[in-house]
Amino acid sequence: MKKKSLFLSLVFIFILGIALVGCSTSTTENPPEQGETNDNNEETNDDQNQQSEDSSSESTLVFGRGADSVDLDPALVTDGESIKVTLNIYDTLVKYGDLDTSIEPSLATDWTTSDDGLTYTFNLREGVKFHDGTDFNAEAVVYNFERWANGDKSSFYYYSSMFGGFKGDEGHVIQEVKAVDELTVEFTLSRPQAPFLQNVAMPPFGIASPTALEEYGESFTENPVGTGPFVFQEWKRNDRIVLVKNENYWMEGYPKLESVIFVSIPDNATRLNELIAGEIDIADGVSPNDNTRVEEESDLQLFVRPSMNVGYLGLTNTRPPFDNKLVRQALNHAVDKEGIIAAFYSGQAVPAKNPLPPVIAGYNDDIDPYPYDLERAKELLAEAGYADGFEMELWAMPVPRPYMPDGQKVAEVIQNSFAQIGVSAKIVSYEWATYLEKARNGEADAFLLGWTGDNGDADNFMYVLLDKDNIGSNNYAYYSNDQLHDILIDAQSNPDQAKREELYKQAQEIIHEDAPWIPLVHSTPILGGKNNIKDFFAHPTGSQSLTKVYFE
Amino acid sequence: MAELARNNAPQKSLRGNSFLLWIEAWKSFKKNKLAVVGLFIVIVFIFLALSAPYITPEGINDQKLADRLLPPSSEHWLGTDDFGRDILSRVIHGARISLWVGFVSVIGSIVVGCFLGILAGYYGRWVDTIISRFFDIMLAFPSILLAIAIVSVLGPSLRNALIAIAIINVPNFGRLIRSKVLSIKQEEYVTAAKAIGMRDRRILFFHILPNSMAPIIVQGTLAIATAIIEAAALGFLGLGAEPPAPEWGKMLADSKNYLVQAPWTMFFPGIAIMLTVLGFNLMGDGLRDALDPRMKN
Repeated sequence: MKKKSLFLSLVFIFILGIALVGCSTSTTENPPEQGETNDNNEETNDDQNQQSEDSSSESTLVFGRGADSVDLDPALVTDGESIKVTLNIYDTLVKYGDLDTSIEPSLATDWTTSDDGLTYTFNLREGVKFHDGTDFNAEAVVYNFERWANGDKSSFYYYSSMFGGFKGDEGHVIQEVKAVDELTVEFTLSRPQAPFLQNVAMPPFGIASPTALEEYGESFTENPVGTGPFVFQEWKRNDRIVLVKNENYWMEGYPKLESVIFVSIPDNATRLNELIAGEIDIADGVSPNDNTRVEEESDLQLFVRPSMNVGYLGLTNTRPPFDNKLVRQALNHAVDKEGIIAAFYSGQAVPAKNPLPPVIAGYNDDIDPYPYDLERAKELLAEAGYADGFEMELWAMPVPRPYMPDGQKVAEVIQNSFAQIGVSAKIVSYEWATYLEKARNGEADAFLLGWTGDNGDADNFMYVLLDKDNIGSNNYAYYSNDQLHDILIDAQSNPDQAKREELYKQAQEIIHEDAPWIPLVHSTPILGGKNNIKDFFAHPTGSQSLTKVYFE
Repeated sequence: MAELARNNAPQKSLRGNSFLLWIEAWKSFKKNKLAVVGLFIVIVFIFLALSAPYITPEGINDQKLADRLLPPSSEHWLGTDDFGRDILSRVIHGARISLWVGFVSVIGSIVVGCFLGILAGYYGRWVDTIISRFFDIMLAFPSILLAIAIVSVLGPSLRNALIAIAIINVPNFGRLIRSKVLSIKQEEYVTAAKAIGMRDRRILFFHILPNSMAPIIVQGTLAIATAIIEAAALGFLGLGAEPPAPEWGKMLADSKNYLVQAPWTMFFPGIAIMLTVLGFNLMGDGLRDALDPRMKN
């Protein structure tokens, strides 16, 4: 240990040396530069002071995470960072258990399903008010669902993913939403949807205040108003989002915290250092390499999020040469998943062979994964007519994600093995929101991405990520297979759980053969937090309600 | 006797007998111990850069994920990085990239800067106003900020980083040459050349330019040091060399997550940057002392 610190101080001295040498030349040639450097330093100091002030109170939770939210209207977003915040501002009709995806009452106290599975009737909670003081009632529910159903894919991705499109679309599931009386809502479906309640419980379908929606219009996403445990207060882009306690929350005695501050600290190591320094209370996305650092600190604890995700390399199936199945299969042979997991997940992940994780009912364990075999990959490439390889862009996400703590490094490993089969890949990255938008528009050759399950159903992986209905929303790979589509729709509508699982297993065989992606890993994300934090439940969906959290 | 010697020196340079001048400069350079150390460092790095493919123990992209983050040992003298690549090989290859960026960008800025500076200094008036104000505008930005802006526009790559570094250094050379030309313009031999009807182009490139070379060489050597730092800074910010190129700044950025776990991954690229920059700075200072007539005893 002593040796290490000696070595470290040496490193610092040399780094300091470099900085000084840099300064001396720039001062002689370019005086303005030094002034600039000083300014920057002052700014960082200011920032740090501010942060320490914020975390001084024990009823304020500072949640450090890898990226800022994209939007605060949950219906507009697909990224986990946005949902982590909106989940605490809005309530859904029903919600998940603390650590699983079982269904519990929320804004609806109870519900009934008709025998044919086409009608759901929800009885709503009495006396709930939106943050702007207006009443929550059946009309508000109808207003929200009507708003989404009349939208389009450029706005409400999740609605279209989960409910088969929009009003007028052939596959649209929700035929009608009707307010029976002040506190009763009736949903009529056009076909049975087995995971309907699971879907309605998803945070993107949080009920927003109709009054606020009309008042703010386009800027609602920066002025969110729901019924949830916390009220939105302030959003500084790329820095922080501040929420304060909802004094009139319907759940008696909750929330326990006075306020929550979400701060974005993109670098995993920096975020952990801030936690160790006490600047933040919870660090999301601790690098797998760093779990021992958290365990070594006596005043910190480790939260393990149950794994329900997949990290993958999507191949845009419409762009040549990736429109060729053989090429996609060849690339599937050329990724050393075990090596990636050992190096950049510290072994806290399992290699993926299917698009959904093994915990989900319907996972097909009989699939034989494509082995890491560069010779076989070369043969397949030659068969496809690319014996000399080709050039491509390999997109790597700029921010750490739960399913991929360091996309750039994973990309470099893949780049290296691709080079060995003659495929020369250029690693490209954009700012996170741009990255998602461009990939969604099909502008990438191949892109690293992942998915954390929203509701624990196979439908939420298979249909959402790979059905042709979802091209332009969550099917970033532009993969389209009619046979698969029929199976997935059948599985979605069939009320018999055993039959559904069988259908999903069949679907995985088709996907395995077509290889629209290279499934990489199912990771076990870890978080670090202060020891005195109680009742923080790291939910498998990646976003958790902070209603019950308190400091001891 | 002393009087005579003093009179002789300028006459030599007037006759263009520059060879003797260089020998004299070298003698004075040799006396400066620090400058010789600088020269030695620079020569070592140039040698490493030129012979990199023949002397490195391993390929720069030989990933061995099983051997990642190994501390320095007899097998890997400087240890391995987070992909299990040999750091020694990568640092040596990094010298190629850094020196290449340093030399090429500085030569680029010298060519453009000299051209603009000569025009401004020789023709004066509105030509001078336009060019000089243009330099002023560029110098108003902190150089690294300007470089970041240029790279953002062109797109991040090593070539674009090189272009950006060349651009930001243009005004330094331009101004230097301009002031030099302004003073040389008054010299008698220029007047004489004009009097015999020599064309502007010939005066500029055969009389004025060669006589302004000394400060350019000094400034150029020092600018290489800055250029290397700037390239490393851009690489560190992810705006320079693209993976898997072993650029020193990028190596620093890649290994900053392992500062505690594997400090050698940061230590050695950092040392390499420091040494080359130090080498060029010492050498540049020595050259200035040797080439500046006013510093001579």
